[in-house]
Formats: sequence, structure tokens, C-alpha cells
Amino acid sequence: MKAAILIRVGAALAVAVLAAAPAWAHHAFAAEFDIGKPLKLQGVVTEMEWINPHAWIHLDVKGPDGKVTSWMVEGGSPNILLRRGFTKKSLEKGTEVVVEGYQAKNGENRANGANITFKDGKRLFLGGSSPEELPQAAK
Amino acid sequence: MKSFAFLTILVSAVGVEAQNPKTYTPPKTSWGDPDLQGVWPGTDMVGTPLERPRNFGTRNVLTDEEYAQRQNRAVNQANVDSQETVNSVTRCDPSRGGLGNTPTTCSNGVSIGPPLYWDDRGKPNRQASLVVDPPDGRIPPLTAEAQKLQADRAAARRARPCATVAGGCHDSWEDESLWDRCITRGAVGSIVPNTYNQGNQIVQAPGYVILRNEMIHETRVIPVDGRPHAPSGIRTWMGDSRGRWENGALVVETSNFNGRDVIAGTPVSDSIRLVERFTRLGPNALEYRLTVDDPKTWTKPWTVSFPLRRDGNYTLYEYACHEGNYYMYNALTGARKQERK
Repeated sequence: MKAAILIRVGAALAVAVLAAAPAWAHHAFAAEFDIGKPLKLQGVVTEMEWINPHAWIHLDVKGPDGKVTSWMVEGGSPNILLRRGFTKKSLEKGTEVVVEGYQAKNGENRANGANITFKDGKRLFLGGSSPEELPQAAK
Repeated sequence: MKSFAFLTILVSAVGVEAQNPKTYTPPKTSWGDPDLQGVWPGTDMVGTPLERPRNFGTRNVLTDEEYAQRQNRAVNQANVDSQETVNSVTRCDPSRGGLGNTPTTCSNGVSIGPPLYWDDRGKPNRQASLVVDPPDGRIPPLTAEAQKLQADRAAARRARPCATVAGGCHDSWEDESLWDRCITRGAVGSIVPNTYNQGNQIVQAPGYVILRNEMIHETRVIPVDGRPHAPSGIRTWMGDSRGRWENGALVVETSNFNGRDVIAGTPVSDSIRLVERFTRLGPNALEYRLTVDDPKTWTKPWTVSFPLRRDGNYTLYEYACHEGNYYMYNALTGARKQERK
């Protein structure tokens, strides 16, 4: 793990035995991602994989030392993303985004995207919404 | 297990346009069969509980007050869903429900689960549960045989070293559910409203009805020409269906399952048989009724029923679930990494 490019959100919690994932979730996120590795990534979109069962957003993340590392961030099913108004233009190459989530347990540069926002704080799915509408703590 | 535990609430009333089936006569196809063709999503019913809370007894219709509560929850849910970036207080609030937002899956105010907008939401309705029979809306008890099977499986799970590992056992692909493996959600799980991809389409041809489910793009080709079932040695995930017309309704009997499906969290046997009834109630309203009969698993049959609403604007998208299933790789390699620690 490239600590330099991760902005630790805080001290990692001890890993507890997690409750089973919700019965209707698509898959067990606690199996895929490490709750002990919260992260915040700021990067540039290089590719959006519209694949099933989950889309993946590819990012280039530049560390403080200028070194660029590639990351993959898991998204929803393409079908539901489309129905929620997400299109090919929503995350074009070169778009800067901020991702809060957890790193993959296998230690690779993959993460879930619990929160994804544009650099200016606008929400991904309501890109036209004013940041002023966001709760204060989210800005 | 994930199969379907359609928790929460919300849902849509069967169409207000629903008409008395005794007075509604569906149109006919050019070859004379009742015409059920169209796209009939079950999305409105996502969120209706599968089983009824015990305190409802045999009442399956919400009171005005309960209905108002359900409407309020839908408004709150929509509000939360639209706040993909939420503040540190609300983002891990268990009351948001689902998708990993529980105290044990939150760290530093960020849920380990996916965002809530990854799921479809239904519309509030007055139906208390999808299960309508037994009259208490509860799936009947397991047979003694099924109870022993479940207890044996649970004991075997507990005996494995991985049983106490965070995230559970991921020793091989066989530890992942049929859903995670993108194999199937089964004949029941593909149509009973749950999560997303709830599009259903009926297409007819002389002697056949074709039922498409968007979830894992299942397609069942159902002969309605009176032919017998396939020989008992033919066993499949979606079973072998035969249909017939009864007073304008399509009745489909399905058997020859491979016995490897999981329904409502319970592994079923290869003796399971399904009887489905599709009854048009109006131009855009259809009642779907499904009876599950697995004498090796449940002490008696049980039935779910819910409305489907025709929506000509709904598109069934392809859902080629296997094409990029990184989950399998991530879960198995993650578990191996954890073992080496």
C-alpha cells in the first residue's frame, strides 16, 4: 500500500468479527474491503468500466511526491446507475473526483466508493446541485 | 444468505387502475390466446417485506396510520439516497438501513457498504407482506429433515477455522453465494421484487409464453400446448415449466429443479415445485401469484402474491453478470492475504 497517496481518515479500528452483510446486498463488502483501511483518494478519471455486476471507475492518483498511482473504485450495477441518471458523460476522462471508502483486503489499489464527489464538493449523481445544498459537514 | 429477505417497507399499491378480474377480459393474440404481452416491472414492490410482522396476524392491509408511516419512510429514504455525500453523523446511522450501514461496518464515519443509491426503491403501498398464504404471512416451519440439514450445515461452518475471521469464509468459490457467483437468482428470486433489475417481460408465440427476467437476464420458454414435463432426469436451475390457460389467466407449473437453489435464505430440495398464476386485472395491471411447494423443506406450501404494473417506458437492459465479476477475485485474494498475516 502506498501510504503516501492515502489520506488516512483516522486511526484504523480494530477489526471486529463483522456481522453478516445485509441479506439483500449484492455481495459482502466486508469480505472484499478492509474496514481497517479507510482511505480518501483524490484523482483523475482515466476510464469507466461499464461492466456487470458492478461498474468500476479507474483513477490516477498523484501523491505528494508527484508519483502517479492507478486505482480502481467499485460502482453500482450499470443498469441501476443508468436508471439513476448516470450516463457516459457523468464521469468523463480527466474529471477530478474525491473518493472516500476502504481499500481492498488483498492490498491492491482497489477501493469501494462509499462517497464519491467532484473536487468542488458537488455530488456525483446530482452534479448540477449546488454545493450549498450539501450538509455542512460534507463540504 | 442473500437470496431474498426483502426487508424494509415501501411499495406500490396494485394499480389503482386494477379492475375486478371477473369483469376484465384480456385481449386475445391473433391466434386466440389471452394476451399478456408487455413489460411488467416489479420495481414498485421492492421493499415490501417478504414476511409479515407477527403482530399483524392475518391482516395484510396497512391501516391509514401504518400506511402514512410507510410513506414517511419512503420520503426519508429518497432524501438519504439523494445525499450520496452525507455528513459524518448520518452516513453511518443504522436507521438509514441496508447496504452495510451498521455500527459494525462503519469506521471513521464512512460506511464500508456501497452507497444507498445502488438499489431501486419501491413505492409505498398498503400490502403488509408478499406472503399471502399461510394467512399469517409467514413462511411455514421447516420440516424435521430440513432442520437437521440446516443444523448440520451450521455446525460444519462453525468448525472451519475461517468461521471466526472478519468477513467470513472465502476459501473457494463455493463459499460465495449463487448471486455472488452470477449463476442465477433462481425462478423465484428472479421475479420476487428485490434490490434492482426488476424488469419482467412477457412475449407470446403460438404454443409458447416467454418470460424474461432482467435480473441475470433469465429467459424461460414455457410451452402452453399441453405437452408433458421433461423426463425427471432433466434437472436445471430454472426448472422445467409448462403452462395452461384458466379463465384468461396463465397458470405455469414448474418442476425438475436441480435442488441447488436457495429461497428466502433456505436451501431447497430437488422436490420443489412451483405454481405461478398470471392474471390480468386491467390494461396495465397484472396479479402475480406464486406457490412454493417443497415437501422436503417446508411443512406446507406457501404463496406470495403481488401486483405488476405494465410500463412501456421501462427498458430491460442486458445484465451479463459474469463479465467483470471482480468481487470473486477480491474476496478470495483478500482472504488469502488475511491468512498470511
